[in-house]
Amino acid sequence: MADSTSNGRTAGRIGAAALLILALVFGLGGATIDYAFASDPLGPRVFPVVLASALAVLALLYWRSPGVAETFPRGSHLLRTLAVPSLVLLSALLLDPAGFPVSVFVLTAGVAWIFGAPPRLALLSGAGHALLWWVVFVRLLSVYLPVGWLFA
Amino acid sequence: MNLDYLWGGFAVALTTQNLLIGLVGCFLGTMIGALPAIGPINGIALLLPIAYTMGLPPESTMILLAAVYCGAEYGGRISSILLNVPGDAGAVMTALDGYPMAKQGRAGEALAISGLSSFVGGVIGTIALALFAPILSSLAIGFGPAEYFVLMIFALATLGSMVGNQPVKTLMGCVLGLMLATIGLDATSGAYRFTFGEPELGEGIEFVVLVIGLFSISEALIILENQSAGVSAIRKLGRMVARLDDLRRCVMPTLRGSAIGFVIGVLPGTGASVASAISYTTEKRVSDREGTFGKGDVRGLAAPEAANNATACGAFVPMLTLGVPGSGTTAVMLGALMLYNIQPGPLLMSEHPEMVGGLVASLFIGNVFLLALNLPLVNLFARVLTIPNWLLVPGILVLSVVGVYSTNASALSLYLMLAIGMAGWLLRKLGFDMAPIILGFVLGDVMEINMRNALAISGGDVSIFFKSWISLVLWGLAITVAVLPFMLGWRAKRIGRSADARS
Repeated sequence: MADSTSNGRTAGRIGAAALLILALVFGLGGATIDYAFASDPLGPRVFPVVLASALAVLALLYWRSPGVAETFPRGSHLLRTLAVPSLVLLSALLLDPAGFPVSVFVLTAGVAWIFGAPPRLALLSGAGHALLWWVVFVRLLSVYLPVGWLFA
Repeated sequence: MNLDYLWGGFAVALTTQNLLIGLVGCFLGTMIGALPAIGPINGIALLLPIAYTMGLPPESTMILLAAVYCGAEYGGRISSILLNVPGDAGAVMTALDGYPMAKQGRAGEALAISGLSSFVGGVIGTIALALFAPILSSLAIGFGPAEYFVLMIFALATLGSMVGNQPVKTLMGCVLGLMLATIGLDATSGAYRFTFGEPELGEGIEFVVLVIGLFSISEALIILENQSAGVSAIRKLGRMVARLDDLRRCVMPTLRGSAIGFVIGVLPGTGASVASAISYTTEKRVSDREGTFGKGDVRGLAAPEAANNATACGAFVPMLTLGVPGSGTTAVMLGALMLYNIQPGPLLMSEHPEMVGGLVASLFIGNVFLLALNLPLVNLFARVLTIPNWLLVPGILVLSVVGVYSTNASALSLYLMLAIGMAGWLLRKLGFDMAPIILGFVLGDVMEINMRNALAISGGDVSIFFKSWISLVLWGLAITVAVLPFMLGWRAKRIGRSADARS
């Protein structure tokens, strides 16, 4: 939902401040790039510094008129929103040691539950996804994916 | 005009493998387009790494992605008409008259008319692409590094002034994309930039990681937030054949929409949403004497649908001839070419005629496939709307994880994808568009290399960017497109103030 009230403006200003800090860090990092040789008059430093300066100017303009921002989720909505990337992270961590089927099962069952599926259906959906994608990618498309300790 | 590349292209596109790939792409694209919020960029972002990992040759990958792109432009209309929720940004205007028609029990007619106008828009756009691409390509061969750099400035200026209503955010998106492109080994000096000592970052951020993070991960979070009950699809489609009288009334709106769509598609950085909005408002101004637009007028349905399909074809012109994407989706396709070490730009048509020709020919064939699929199978595509999010979103996430992991079997890529996805979600919440970031990322390397080459040639003299007539024309165009929206806004405010004063 679009939020043009003071909350929306505050979110915009926080975003502008973060981008300004990014511009400063990026500019400083660019200005101190180590290099021994450059065959052109500019070298590898100038372009990043120019970009950082452009971002800094634009961030200041953004600060002045932050415009409209969407409402950020709070409470349980925020928890649900953060749970999705957490599950992706967990599945990434599990991929090599536990293998693709286990990793996909955890990801899909968890996300299905977050998206409102009853627990039993979420588990079934996880198992179905794991089987379906294993057949599609490994058997049909010959994509290399780790099998992990369970199926090794 | 040399159209030899096109005949060779038909030979490429008509092989059994490519025909099959095109058909599958059209089918998947229509399904992707029909799903609300999953637009062509998301579909292409998900399919690109899989096509690459399967070892498809570049021309087949481009045919697949182009088929998905055009299919999604067709499919976007289905949820617009049946749900009043646009399948993608280009189908927003379709809902204005399509949904009222569906509520009047004429959903089937609306789907048939919009399918036909999509076909006409797609075919006219493809003919124009086949005719104009060689002309622009031969013109662009005269470009040197300085002209190329100014062309990039023009592309970014066009984007800043035309995408969205907040040019500062759009330009910031471009700069963020350009900044991301600087990460990795600098080819000229051998210096590592912003790699934090991580060897895997030496080659820069993988395009697939960026595009999937920005479009897929952030999309899943947006879908979660927008998951709301109460929206239900119209189930009764009614008769699936358009009335002859309605078809006759749609001829001129469709032709006008196709022309507007193609021209707007050619402009770098503009997309189907701009084209369909301009086409709808133009049609309303030209034809709406009875005040029926917005209440289920077939002309208000045909014009934007023709426009958004013609835009998709127009967007290929700058991509194939100049190496500058015409839309966010073609920016992703440009990145796909780079994955195959194919350098987009003025020499693309002469160096890879089979790929360019194959792509253009496949668009002709794809439009026929899409019409053949969309008229009889529309009921099947409409069923896609009933897939619950708890089944759909996990599938999208699995495709994202596999797509990123399969390109280099690295867990770091997955962590990067996740970080980019979260940053993308935050930026989207703040009202940023993701397409400028992709555009900036794709143009970043080319822009910097050309700037540095031009200055190396001139010995550091910046006047090289203003010496040729091509550069001067491009500067003129860039300044015009950057300043024009501000001038128009200022004029509108002045008119508003004087109207207030009079009242």
